[in-house]
Amino acid sequence: MKLNLKLTWKIWLLIISLILALLSIFATPYLFQNGVVISGITQNSTASVQGFKVGAVINSINGNPVKNIDDYSTILQNVFISNSSQKVTFGTNQGQVIYYSNLPPEIIVKSISPTNLKTGLDLSGGASALVKAENQSLTSDQASEIAQMISNRLNVYGLEDIKVSPISDLSGNNYISIQIAGATPQDLDNLISQQGKFEARIGDQIVFQGEKQDISSVATSGQQSGLQTCNQQTDGSYTCTFNFAVYLSQTAATRAAQLTQNLTINHTPNGDYLSTPLDLYLDGQKIDSLQISADLKGVVTTQVSIQGYGIGTTQTNAVDNATSEMKRLQTILQTGSLPFKLDIVQENTISPLLGQNFTNTILIAAAVAILAVSIVIFIRYRKLKESLAVILTSVSEIIIILGIAALIGWNLDLPSIAGILATIGTGIDSQIIIIDEARSKILNIKQRLKRAFAIILGSYFTAFVSLIPLYWAVAGFFKGFAFTTIIGITVGILITRPAFVDIINKIEKD
Amino acid sequence: MEEKKKFISRFREAYDKHYKLLIILTALLIILSFASMAIFYVHNHDFIYKDISLLGGTSVTVYGTNFNINQMKQDLTKSLGDIDINSLKDVFTQQQKAIVIQTSLDAKTVKPILESYLGYSLTDQNSSFESTSSSLGSGFYQQLLVAVLIAFSFMGVVVYFLFGKGKWIKMLLILLAILSPFLFFVLRAVSIDFALILSLATLLVSLFIYWKFNVPSFAVVLSAFADILMTLVVIDLMGMKLSSAGIIAFLMLIGYSVDTDILLTNRVLKATTGSVNHRIFGAFKTGITMTITAILAVLAALFLISSFSNTMAQIFTILAIGLCFDIYNTWITNACIIKWYATKKNEIKS
Repeated sequence: MKLNLKLTWKIWLLIISLILALLSIFATPYLFQNGVVISGITQNSTASVQGFKVGAVINSINGNPVKNIDDYSTILQNVFISNSSQKVTFGTNQGQVIYYSNLPPEIIVKSISPTNLKTGLDLSGGASALVKAENQSLTSDQASEIAQMISNRLNVYGLEDIKVSPISDLSGNNYISIQIAGATPQDLDNLISQQGKFEARIGDQIVFQGEKQDISSVATSGQQSGLQTCNQQTDGSYTCTFNFAVYLSQTAATRAAQLTQNLTINHTPNGDYLSTPLDLYLDGQKIDSLQISADLKGVVTTQVSIQGYGIGTTQTNAVDNATSEMKRLQTILQTGSLPFKLDIVQENTISPLLGQNFTNTILIAAAVAILAVSIVIFIRYRKLKESLAVILTSVSEIIIILGIAALIGWNLDLPSIAGILATIGTGIDSQIIIIDEARSKILNIKQRLKRAFAIILGSYFTAFVSLIPLYWAVAGFFKGFAFTTIIGITVGILITRPAFVDIINKIEKD
Repeated sequence: MEEKKKFISRFREAYDKHYKLLIILTALLIILSFASMAIFYVHNHDFIYKDISLLGGTSVTVYGTNFNINQMKQDLTKSLGDIDINSLKDVFTQQQKAIVIQTSLDAKTVKPILESYLGYSLTDQNSSFESTSSSLGSGFYQQLLVAVLIAFSFMGVVVYFLFGKGKWIKMLLILLAILSPFLFFVLRAVSIDFALILSLATLLVSLFIYWKFNVPSFAVVLSAFADILMTLVVIDLMGMKLSSAGIIAFLMLIGYSVDTDILLTNRVLKATTGSVNHRIFGAFKTGITMTITAILAVLAALFLISSFSNTMAQIFTILAIGLCFDIYNTWITNACIIKWYATKKNEIKS
């Protein structure tokens, strides 16, 4: 038997597609680098001004090599073990960063991913939500506007890696889809769905509202913002109070002066206060009532201190609650209120734990499935070459689909993976048809394979058209499935199957 | 060898003589399935049992190795109502990895109840929450049904284009197939309920056209339909609660089942040599390999992934059942109809 090394253009096309797909999957910007990538830097933090850049790779700290997230956190823990200020040298691929503080830099780091493939939130962990307006339907413009505002809110809150987009379903309902990769903030519900209509009133008069024209800025760090005291209550629970400064615009401050001017002064053992307190309302609910010091009567002051509290069963719990309550209030005051009351119709918070194992399981599953199939094919045809050709073609099909996914940055979620498995199934079906047509004794081989292709094209179009409605159904939840299947069967019909026909042709000729 | 040949020739004789009986048997099976669905519908006011992704509710996954599911179910039924609990296990060690609790309550209500029961707080490090509101769930259910119906209509048109004749009929079928999606997605002129009725009606009209003008297309579409119907009956008998992904599995089933039917029809109608029986048998050898490999692949995936994701496990279970029915419906239902059709055509010719 002579080994025929002359390959047809269709086989070359398959080989070239495979190489391109592998490049697209593995040629990451961090190829051959060790370390951790900076994926986010907290706005206005010390880290943001000292030269850290998103996308830079940290490969050493004070000369100690950083290979992964574990190294990174262990080294930093040791460096900042005492509360004193430290000078730390971070070696990155974009030069050294000298950092000086008593706390670790407020940056989010990720391990370097060996591939360009991205997994969906249902595998990598994170939170997603689908929001609509309560008791009314949104137009697509309104949905876009709200999406923009929510995105702004989440950014101000300090979340990285978020995706907020308007989305519509088959029935024409408009939703806002929110996807947050990584850790889920505790009060996500409130952050995304709370309308956030803030009002400060004296009696029934509005002094200022949580909007741009009234509030010029909100203090979020330093002396003007933070927790005050924590106390244990009689029932054993803890209450922690916080306060932060809000700077009013001149108009709002003048309005406040006019309103306080008319109030009388009450003398109390704790000091002198105005007769009516400043009441704070959030979405129509009174959240706090502040006594106004008597010396502020009729005075134009632009700084107001907002107070609030958090409760918890333990002190740590109460501190956490107060901190997040404060952060949320600050965020709402900074970003203003949403034009509608919103309703969360779907919400998922997925732990990253499961996804890590899943990738391995899915690889094993695919390998076992392909192996099982090739054994059946070997039993049926008693030929090793055919079985190998089937394995080879199926594996290249998977690689090419993944390559395309990596190229366009598609997030591979569970439905996408189900789609890939479905594609491999139909792919193998077509390969069996090709082998059988090639082996049948009638006609010449070209005609037989042409007939095989007619059948395969028929199957292709039926599969294709049956997936189309799915692309829009249920707010795009199964977009991934439709997408990978359509890509997969198209790759099959254009690249892998023609090449497989030629491979079988060669095998049969030998 | 002699024995085998004898058996085959006897088998052929019997097949030639009695294949029409098999058509009647299939008709009976389909009627039985319809009856079973009707009874199911009367009892449950729906065609399937729905899970929380379609009804609304919360699915909580709690990671850990030492949960007593039965005990938990007993304890939590008081506070959470009617709940489903099952555990996810490592496929190789069979060690429990997590439990999945499904309840019709929303996440905000469920979380504190579970936390006080377990005695620790649930964070994104030890648990996952997935909740859907009931309005969204029922809306999705209807949309998925419309998607399946439209997909089925589209599939039918492609099949008719492969095997049927007549420019005007093809035009009419395309018009019928795109009527409901056009009114529904493009113009948004009809409500989802009406879209459902409309797509069902157009589907029935197209079925009639296939039967009237091209029996082979009708046979393909009928056997795909029978696959779905029979699988549905079994799923309902098993008491499986379908998720939105489960409905997608039926969509996948359309694609898989039509493959072998197209192969069979193509071989019988377009081949120029050999008897009808010979062609059917040739197609059978190819087709059964296709279906068996598909079932094996699906079972392998099911075995590995069921330990991991209930959603994926459901998809693969439905596919496996559907593929088994596909063997019957392709090689009995479809084959007998096409044999009857081809024999009749030959009689007319000669």
